[in-house]
Amino acid sequence: MIEADQLSKTYGDVTAIRDVTFAVAPGEIMGFLGPNGAGKTTTMRILAGFLPASQGTARVADCDVHRDLMAVRQRIGYLPELPPLYPEMTVEGFLHFVARIKGLPAGDRSERVTWTIGRCGLADKRSVLIRKLSKGYRQRVGIAQAIVHNPPVIILDEPTVGLDPRQNQAVRELVKSLAGDHTIILSTHILPEVSMTCDRVTIINGGQVVASGSLDALSHYGTTELSYEVEVAGAAQLAQAQLYQVAGVHRIDVMLDSQPQGDEVRSRLKVQAQPGADPGSAIATRLVGAGMNLYELRRGQTSLEDVFINLTTTEVAEDVAEIEGAETPAAEQSADETFADKAVREPIDEAGESVAADAPVASPSTPAAPAPTAPAPTDSSDPEVQ
Amino acid sequence: MSIRSSGATLWANLYAIYCRELQQYFGAPLAYGVAGIFWLLGGFFFFTVLLAPGGLIGAIAAQDQAGGGGPPIDAAYEFLKLYLGLLGSLSMFILPVLSMGLYAEERKQGTLELLATSPVTNWVVALGKLLAILSLYIAIVLPLMLLEAIALSASDPPIQPGVLLLGHLGLVLMAASILSLGMFISSLTSSTVLAAIMTFALMLLLWVMDVIAQGIGGGFGEALGHLSLLRHFGDLTEGIFDAGGLVMFLSYIGLGIFLTAQSIEALRFQRS
Repeated sequence: MIEADQLSKTYGDVTAIRDVTFAVAPGEIMGFLGPNGAGKTTTMRILAGFLPASQGTARVADCDVHRDLMAVRQRIGYLPELPPLYPEMTVEGFLHFVARIKGLPAGDRSERVTWTIGRCGLADKRSVLIRKLSKGYRQRVGIAQAIVHNPPVIILDEPTVGLDPRQNQAVRELVKSLAGDHTIILSTHILPEVSMTCDRVTIINGGQVVASGSLDALSHYGTTELSYEVEVAGAAQLAQAQLYQVAGVHRIDVMLDSQPQGDEVRSRLKVQAQPGADPGSAIATRLVGAGMNLYELRRGQTSLEDVFINLTTTEVAEDVAEIEGAETPAAEQSADETFADKAVREPIDEAGESVAADAPVASPSTPAAPAPTAPAPTDSSDPEVQ
Repeated sequence: MSIRSSGATLWANLYAIYCRELQQYFGAPLAYGVAGIFWLLGGFFFFTVLLAPGGLIGAIAAQDQAGGGGPPIDAAYEFLKLYLGLLGSLSMFILPVLSMGLYAEERKQGTLELLATSPVTNWVVALGKLLAILSLYIAIVLPLMLLEAIALSASDPPIQPGVLLLGHLGLVLMAASILSLGMFISSLTSSTVLAAIMTFALMLLLWVMDVIAQGIGGGFGEALGHLSLLRHFGDLTEGIFDAGGLVMFLSYIGLGIFLTAQSIEALRFQRS
């Protein structure tokens, strides 16, 4: 439904985004993450038909954003970071106006506006002037204008910024309820919001996509050495003895030893696997085979926050380097190597070449790249790290 | 998703923009403030031209008392010429105020992004806005036409309808030209005050172009003189129809719409 292919945008010598590539399948909600100035808004504006890309192209609802600009504009609902509202209009009047310029036939307009007002929780504010609304309600009107013409694609640029937790939740629920019928791109800084709302995540840093994939797959990003938490009956020493005999186990840390629980004692251990090994089922087989009661075996996961920080922390390093001046190693970098290059390279180096089967795959633009990646609109499990 | 057919889209969009703009003007205090000042000064000029000592009626009475010597005064014609000229000068002060917010407000509110991501062409938006602000100007001027009608109804012989029509057409065309160019200036900045000042400066230049042209003289001066708003407006208020003047007004209007559309398009290539 949305395909961005090698999108680049430059303003003179400044590169806002470079080679941004991702895809969103119909009905999906994709979270678009990145620090300030990463290029999220620029990318979304290109997809919305507001900005032309300097290079590359994008297709939105089967229309090319450059060749079929008016068709794209008709098929998208766009909420910029600052909701575009006319303060002197009433909520209902404003939505009627948007429905008109978005091309809804007069016969469908009233029904659609009423539906949108209901869906966005604006029923008791429909006759109120927009300038008299609170920030939360204005944000809702902003979302309402993006969906009033029932577009197949909705682009929301930080729809929850500045809202209180309750308003946040309401907007989140509204967005989530739109999935399925609509394909949604949602940019935000709030990581739990992405976890709760989105199916896929694309992380952008320094103008380049550094990771893209399903939430589940991203949660394994950077875990070249898998770890497991094990809870078994009996002393930790007994369990350790068994676990060291499992192929692929690298290290075992005792978290809890012989803690009484009911009429038995239990121990909790953390098992670190060797790089590239996945000894989960062997651990279970070994412990059960040894007659030990296994209560829990859980593979450790990286939180989205960890992934985000891991992929975007180079921005901070770069800022420091700029402050320190020309004597810093960063300043000695090749003149044609942009910040984006460095921002992308470093997380990949940390990740190493060996990645788990369902973990992100490095792109050809990075040193650790094992294979080229193309947009995968329907693959929600295989993330791309670029 | 059901979408209107493309044939109807253009007019529907134009009408939607027109209605929204009108709604905004009549919902804001600025239009009423401007109208109030315009009516007050328009009424004062009406009194001055017609009734004040040294006014038209006084001059005719003085001529009658003097035994009717000298050429006869066509009171209705003279009144119309003087009054429309004064209304034109008065309009110079309100037109920049009316046009200053046309795009500057959209830029400030972020609503330009809504229009720019909707399936509406830039020139339709510009034309809709121009028609709406021109309608507001006409609505402001109309009550003063009532005063005019009262005065002219008493004239004997009555004024020729052609002269009446051309005079008012001149006022509307002159206003449309300035509003169109003011709209373009408004699209260049998000500061309404700056837009008003720049529009006033440009309008002043076009207004006195005739004087500048006379100063320069020669072929170039003559050519420059054709750009003068004052000259073409003056011709129309005197009941002289000049196709060149009409083309000049329409060119200003078209140029303003064209430049506005291009200016908004250029925003897509600027970094914000």
